[in-house]
Amino acid sequence: MTGLASQAPARAGARRKRPEREPRLLSAFKASPATYAVLLVVSAVFFVPFILMVSISLSSDLTSSQNAFTVIPTEFEWRNFTEVFTATGLPVGRFVLNSVLIATLSAVGQVLSSSLVGYAFARLRAPGKGVMFMIVLATMMIPAQITMIPQFLLFKELGWVNTYLPLIVPNFFTNAFNVFLVRQFVSRISGELDEAAQMDGLGYFGVYRRIILPMMWPILTAIAIFTLTHAWGDFMGPLIYLNSEESMPLALGLQYMTGTSNEMQLPPWNLVMVGSIILTLPMIAIYYLGQKYLYEMNLQGGSAGVK
Amino acid sequence: MSKTIDEAPGAVRDARRAGRRRTMSSRSRKEAFYFWLFISPWLIGFVGFLLGPMIASIYISLTEWDSFTPPEWVGLDNYAKALTEDPVFWKALGNTFYYAAISVPLGLAIGVWLANLLNKRVRGRKLFRTFIYLPTLVPLVATAMVFKMVLAPSGPLNEALSWIGIDGPNWLLDPTWVKPALIVLSAWGAGGATVLLLSAMNGIPRELYEAAEIDGAGAWRQFWSVTFPQITPVIFFNLIMGLIGSFQIFSQVYILTAGGPDNASQMVVPLLFREAFSFYHFGYASAVAWLLFVVIMAFTLIAFRTSRSWVFYEQEVK
Repeated sequence: MTGLASQAPARAGARRKRPEREPRLLSAFKASPATYAVLLVVSAVFFVPFILMVSISLSSDLTSSQNAFTVIPTEFEWRNFTEVFTATGLPVGRFVLNSVLIATLSAVGQVLSSSLVGYAFARLRAPGKGVMFMIVLATMMIPAQITMIPQFLLFKELGWVNTYLPLIVPNFFTNAFNVFLVRQFVSRISGELDEAAQMDGLGYFGVYRRIILPMMWPILTAIAIFTLTHAWGDFMGPLIYLNSEESMPLALGLQYMTGTSNEMQLPPWNLVMVGSIILTLPMIAIYYLGQKYLYEMNLQGGSAGVK
Repeated sequence: MSKTIDEAPGAVRDARRAGRRRTMSSRSRKEAFYFWLFISPWLIGFVGFLLGPMIASIYISLTEWDSFTPPEWVGLDNYAKALTEDPVFWKALGNTFYYAAISVPLGLAIGVWLANLLNKRVRGRKLFRTFIYLPTLVPLVATAMVFKMVLAPSGPLNEALSWIGIDGPNWLLDPTWVKPALIVLSAWGAGGATVLLLSAMNGIPRELYEAAEIDGAGAWRQFWSVTFPQITPVIFFNLIMGLIGSFQIFSQVYILTAGGPDNASQMVVPLLFREAFSFYHFGYASAVAWLLFVVIMAFTLIAFRTSRSWVFYEQEVK
C-alpha cells in the first residue's frame, strides 16, 4: 500500500531535471520505438480486464446466460446498473450501505485512536515508554491468522457474531503501523508551539486537541484512506463474522451473488460485473482525491520501511 | 527507523535517572500519567486483541476443541498431525511455496522492467503509469470476479493464445494450470511495485549515468551497474512485503477455485480457514496458523540475512 503514491516524487524529479536536460539526453533516458511498443502493449494488456468488466456489465441477460461475451462491448444494457439493485433477489443496496458504514466507522476509529496514541509516543515522557514502543514495532510482525481464531471465539462469546462490531470495534484500539506513522509525523513537528501553549496553561489533552491534531491532518487523511480501502475491500473478515444477507458488505455480497440457489442456473454475470464496478469505482475516486496525502504516508512509512 | 531505536534507550535512561532520584517531580508524574492514559486505546487493544489471543492460540493449538464441548488436551498432536499425517497440509504448503516462489519474483521482474521503461523520457508517461497502476486499486473480490471471466475456457486469455496457435487450457479446472492461473492474476497487480521502483529510479544521481556513458557502458551494462544497485533497497522492501503477502493468499483461492481441483490449488490460509470455520477444528487450525507463522518468519529472516550481500545502501544506516 505504501507504494500507492509515488507520483509526486516522480513529478518533482522531472521538474528538477528539466534545466539539466537541455544540453544532451543521456542514452539511459532515450526512449526508442521499442520502448513505446512495449509500454503500449503492456498498458493494453493491463487494461483488458477493465474493458471486459464494462463489456460484461453492459451485456443482456441472454448473452450473460450463454457466456457469450466479447471484450469489446457490442451491447449497451445500461439498465443493468439499476437492475442490480432489484433483479438479483439480494439486498444489493443494503450491501453498499453496509460497506459504507463499516468502512467509515473503521476509518473514524483508526483516526481517533492512532492520533492520540501516536501523539503520546511522540511527545510525552514516561518511564517504560521505550519498552512500549519496542512492543508496538514487534507486533507488526504477527500475522493476522494467529489471532483470528481466538478473536472469533472472543467475539462469539460477546455475542457479536453477525453484527458489524467485530469488524469495526478493533479499529478504535488502533494498530501498530498507524501508531508508528503518526509518531514519526509528530516527531518532525517543532515542539516550540506546544511548549508555548503549555506555558499558557494548556493541558496535555489541550495541546493534543488544539495544537497537534490540527497539524496532523495530512497523515490522518492518509490513514483514513488506507483504512477505508482496506475495510471496503476486506473479504475474510465479513466472511468469518457475517452470515445474514442483511448485514453483508458489498465485497462479500458479490461472492454471495455468484452462488446461485439453483445448480442448473448460471450466476447473473452481467449484474455481478455491475457490482464489481460499484465496488471498484469508489477506490479509484478515493485514490485520485487522496494521492498527495498517500504520498505523505509513503514518505513517512514507506521510506522508513525501506531503510 | 534509526531515530526510533535511538530514542528507546533514551527513554529507558530517563526512567533510570528518575528511579535514582527516587521521587519523580509531580509534573513528570502527571506527564507519565497522561502518557499511559493516551496510549490506553493501543494498550487495551494489544492485550485484548493481540497478546491475549496469541496466548490463547498457543493453548488452543495444544488441544482438540470444537468450541461446543470442553477442550481436550492433546499436547503436540496437532502439530504432529499437520507435519506427518495430513497430506493436504503438505500439499497446501507446497502449493503456497510454488505460488510465492513464482509470483513474487515475477511481479518484481515485471515491476523493474516497466519502471525502467517509464524512467526514460517517454511521452505520455503519466498516462502509461496510470494504466499500469490502475489494477492495484481494484478490490480483490472484484479482481477475482473479472479473472473468472478472463480465465474462462473461451475467455480473452485463451483467445489471445489461440492467435499464436496455442490451445489454452481450462485454467481454473485443470490441476496443472490452476496455480499458473492464480499467478497470472497476481501479475496483474505488478504496477504497485512499478510505481515505488520508479520513484526510486528518479532519485538516482544523473552523474552516475554520465560517468557510465563516458566509460562506454551500453544500456544493459548501465542498467545492471548503475540502476539496479541503486534500487535494491526498494526491491528488498517489495520482496519482503510480497513474500509475507503471498504466503497469506486467501480471497483469490476461496473465490476462484475453493482449493480445487483435487486440492491442486489449496493453500495454507484457505486450509486453515476451512479447518476452523467449516469443520470447527479450532485446535488443528491454530497449530496450522503457528506453523505458517514459523514459515513466514524463516523466509523473512533468510531474506534479511542474504540482503547484506546484494542490497546496496548509499551510506551506512545509523
